[in-house]
Amino acid sequence: MTIVVSDLTVRYGEKAVLNDISLEIASGKWTCLVGPNGAGKTTFLKVLLGMAPYSGSISDQGVEVFKNHNRNVAFVPQSPQIPQGMTVAEYVALGRSKKDGWGNESLASRALIHKILVQTHLFGMHHNLVTHLSGGEMQRALIARALAQEPELILLDEPTSALDLHHQISVLNNIELLKEEGVTIISTMHDITLAAMFAEQTVIMKEGKVLLSGSSHEVIHSPELKKAFDNRIDVYTLDSGRPVIIASKGEVEKN
Amino acid sequence: MRRRNIALASAALLGIATLTSATNAIASSPNPTRIISLSPSATEILFGIGAGPQVIAVDDNSDYPSTAPFSKLSSFTPNVEAIAAYHPDLVVLQSSATNAATVESDLQKLKINVFLEVTPSNISDAYAEFLALGKVTGHPSRAKALVTTMKSRIAEILAKARKKNSISIYHELDNTLYSADSTTFIGQIYSDFNFSNIADGTNSGGYPQLTPEAVIKADPKVIFLDDGPYGESAATVAARPGWSTISAVKNKHVVVLPLDIADRWGPRLVDFYQFVAQATAKIN
Amino acid sequence: MNAERDAIAKIWNWRITAFCALILLVVAIAAVSFGPISINFFKVFKTLFDLPGGASGQDRTVIIQLRLPRVILGVLVGSALATSGAVYQTVFHNPLADPYLLGAASGAGLGATIALTSSHHNLVGALPIFAFLGGVLAVFTSFIISGRFFADPNSLLLSGIAVGSFATAIQTYLQQRHSSALRPVYSWILGDLTSATWSVVGWSAIYIAIALLILFSVAKQLDGLMLSDEEAYSLGINPKKLRIIAVAAATLATATAVSASGLIGFVGIVVPHLVRGLTHRVTNRSLISIAMAGAAFLVLADLGARTLLSPAELPIGVITAFVGAPFFLVVLRNRRKAGQ
Repeated sequence: MTIVVSDLTVRYGEKAVLNDISLEIASGKWTCLVGPNGAGKTTFLKVLLGMAPYSGSISDQGVEVFKNHNRNVAFVPQSPQIPQGMTVAEYVALGRSKKDGWGNESLASRALIHKILVQTHLFGMHHNLVTHLSGGEMQRALIARALAQEPELILLDEPTSALDLHHQISVLNNIELLKEEGVTIISTMHDITLAAMFAEQTVIMKEGKVLLSGSSHEVIHSPELKKAFDNRIDVYTLDSGRPVIIASKGEVEKN
Repeated sequence: MRRRNIALASAALLGIATLTSATNAIASSPNPTRIISLSPSATEILFGIGAGPQVIAVDDNSDYPSTAPFSKLSSFTPNVEAIAAYHPDLVVLQSSATNAATVESDLQKLKINVFLEVTPSNISDAYAEFLALGKVTGHPSRAKALVTTMKSRIAEILAKARKKNSISIYHELDNTLYSADSTTFIGQIYSDFNFSNIADGTNSGGYPQLTPEAVIKADPKVIFLDDGPYGESAATVAARPGWSTISAVKNKHVVVLPLDIADRWGPRLVDFYQFVAQATAKIN
Repeated sequence: MNAERDAIAKIWNWRITAFCALILLVVAIAAVSFGPISINFFKVFKTLFDLPGGASGQDRTVIIQLRLPRVILGVLVGSALATSGAVYQTVFHNPLADPYLLGAASGAGLGATIALTSSHHNLVGALPIFAFLGGVLAVFTSFIISGRFFADPNSLLLSGIAVGSFATAIQTYLQQRHSSALRPVYSWILGDLTSATWSVVGWSAIYIAIALLILFSVAKQLDGLMLSDEEAYSLGINPKKLRIIAVAAATLATATAVSASGLIGFVGIVVPHLVRGLTHRVTNRSLISIAMAGAAFLVLADLGARTLLSPAELPIGVITAFVGAPFFLVVLRNRRKAGQ
């Protein structure tokens, strides 16, 4: 189930937030969108959710996104609205609404939730209130809820930006498990080093346009990546072959 | 001026029409012997026309005459069941009571007759109520006689006390300067004396709130205080900033109205006229 | 077998709903049985269920024409206010939201004041219609002036405050100009169920039933409104449409309740918290239970209103505040303890 994007344009008023973009997102693979702020990365995710009106074409399994209401797309937001007074178990159970309908508490459904809670190491604290979770635990809860949906496509908006180094890796490891289920993963990330570690496909976006899209290895070492950040980044390669992308020191010192 | 008169006339006609239909509905039944009055004025009227012995309970504000059978029934928020528990055969209910329409229909469902008392807008409406209550309770001639007596006594008082040259007055309802103009019941009593009411002309449905400046500018010769029970007196009025320049205050013509005479329209109306006459006798 | 042992517990148990229904039934029967005229309880029971040996004559009229419509109106108004309050709290992510948000109360109050201060005296009979229209128009105006009809919760809230203030200002002006109407307007604002007759019960039942049925049917999906819009979309609901349906139905229920019984406070805030606090659940599957709890609460409060200071009537708003406030504090304190 490849996602094909063709001449996609999204306008907010006069401004084109996504300007005539075309690309293909491979099914069952992890694609990461990178680029500076204002590139339109989050807007692209919203289009995939069916939230933004667009011109052009974006089809998922051959059907235009806004026409197919049965799509099962999970969304892990950067800043979720955390409901007060809800337990972790209830929160994760919300994910079942897509497959089972709202409020369905069949035995099978509850067994699956249990399995996911164990998988994400949340079982044992699932009676706690969601408002009491630490940043890392909250992220796991979001992923658990997304897993409960049994989605075909999962969208993650900056899944690691608020986490410490250790949790960043463990969360991304958890997400990678989804590939075993054949789920297509699309994420936006500021940390391109991490993106390079996990995503097979990388898309560079800037100011509403796609500068380059392709395998992560190619894209990371391309000149387009540096161009996207106004040449203020450096790309190093470790002995192991892993790329490391950091901001250039020079520009900062100029002030 | 003409519009106001028409309004007054229509209100009077409406009042009389209501009374007439109310009394006609009830007059056909035998005289009631278990009357409940939920109106302090009606209580005074009932006892004045000789229906006292037929009254079994009066509301918690009916304090005159002192022989009236006091009860805890409320005139403002009548409780139908509590009223019905007395097994009355006639209830005098104020139309200004909370949910009066529902109370009336509920009582009627319980086969209890209701006399709906509309607040009179002028003295002939008040007399009409006397006569209506007389008819309903079986004392028509006594009611008639009482009205005739009141009319002649009031005429006597006015003959002596009515001012040839009108003097300005201010009637105060509370210390935020709510007043009553000449379209109100009490305002018309003042008009009988040829007083000019400083609250007139504001077109506020009868009870405008005045500003201190307006009162000082109007410079009334007499101030009638209806808020005596709330702590106002000639002394407190004089203490108000700027009020010491008002003629009424300078000449010590600030009068506290006696409790419950100014707010009722029973037989003691005559006493009220007398009181006003005495209070303003020496003023020109 | 393993699955049964390992599965997590159900989040909402319909036994809770059944329990609330039982409480409501008991409270309602008790309320019809008490009043200044004492009628033997078994006689009341037999009269209600049309069994032989029931009351007759005046006693029967008291039960059927006086107490029963009043209790039923209490059930309708109580359930309308509690349910609307719960829905508003979910939609606006605000545990302190009450059904009078978005200017509904001020609009209804203005409508009632217009009816009471108008120079045409027949308008007093049409007071419920004026109050109803006032409430509905105020909420509708809030939607319009918030800029976008499918507005987000926060801008709706702000425009509701603006509309409410405006309506209150006009109302105050009218009251000042017609101060003889002050007392009727004031007592209407305090709220009471004394206007209950079978015809009032009739029309309010229709509107409130429609509104509640709509809300109960979307109750489960309302849980999605507790999340951000993006999350809601991913879970398969259209949050903007759902918000409008929920707010419209809740407003219909509130406006009807207000036109029948004035502005009774506290029910809409306290009862949802009571139910949620006692069950430790915030899911909107509790809506039916909240409705029944609100009904029982108001019927009990009304019983107090007409018997505590008998033969005078206590304003029911005083009782709901007196009872509601301490309960509220207890629930709040327990929540804070659970939080620590």
